[in-house]
Amino acid sequence: MSSVCVLTPVIVGAWPAVAAAVASVAVSMGMSIVLPEELHGFDTTRERKKVITEVPNSDVLAEELGINEKISMVQGDTLIEISREAEGSIRVCVTGETLSKSELAKLGDQVAGRIVQQFAYHRLMEELKNRNYTIVEESVERDNSIQVRVRMGS
Amino acid sequence: MASQGPQFDIRIDAKGKMTVAISGVTGEECAKLSDMIAMIVGHESSREYTSEYRVPGTNVRITPTTTQETHSHIRTIDRPW
Repeated sequence: MSSVCVLTPVIVGAWPAVAAAVASVAVSMGMSIVLPEELHGFDTTRERKKVITEVPNSDVLAEELGINEKISMVQGDTLIEISREAEGSIRVCVTGETLSKSELAKLGDQVAGRIVQQFAYHRLMEELKNRNYTIVEESVERDNSIQVRVRMGS
Repeated sequence: MASQGPQFDIRIDAKGKMTVAISGVTGEECAKLSDMIAMIVGHESSREYTSEYRVPGTNVRITPTTTQETHSHIRTIDRPW
């Protein structure tokens, strides 16, 4: 081993790249992505607890008008909405009835972290593939970390 | 190891923090690859070079950072007036 770098990923890109990362998060955390018209069940008059988390180091470029820059996921009666704020940062809004506010906050932090993880993974793998690197080993550990070994050539 | 070409061992934890170990290259090439990863991913928090970084025959040396201090001397001269 010649060097070891520790990096803090930055999410800079267009919404579709974020949406792809969010889709991966939904799959890996066992959540379902729901369309806006499927959200009526959550628009109840009952009071829902709400926690908002911002994804650190995120700056998403504005898309064309009319494109929906919001993705909703559900897990039980908990609704997780990921959206782009006006200034470009990514916001995770978690609302629910069953979970306590601290549990909702924990879930929001987990989702925010996993968005950064998935975005960084996809971005780095895409760039390395473009530079003729190949994935030779890949695994997801019990602590949900992703381990990848990449080498030059095929 | 150096003959196999560059290899990256990447770990991305659940909060997104990334650790990349580079092997199979030495010296300037290793430094360039480290820079490339940092450019793709984002902020580099730390970088550590290991003994493999410098092998005989390369011109790269790891030199510790030295701090030079400049001392100003103020001389007082005893004058008779």
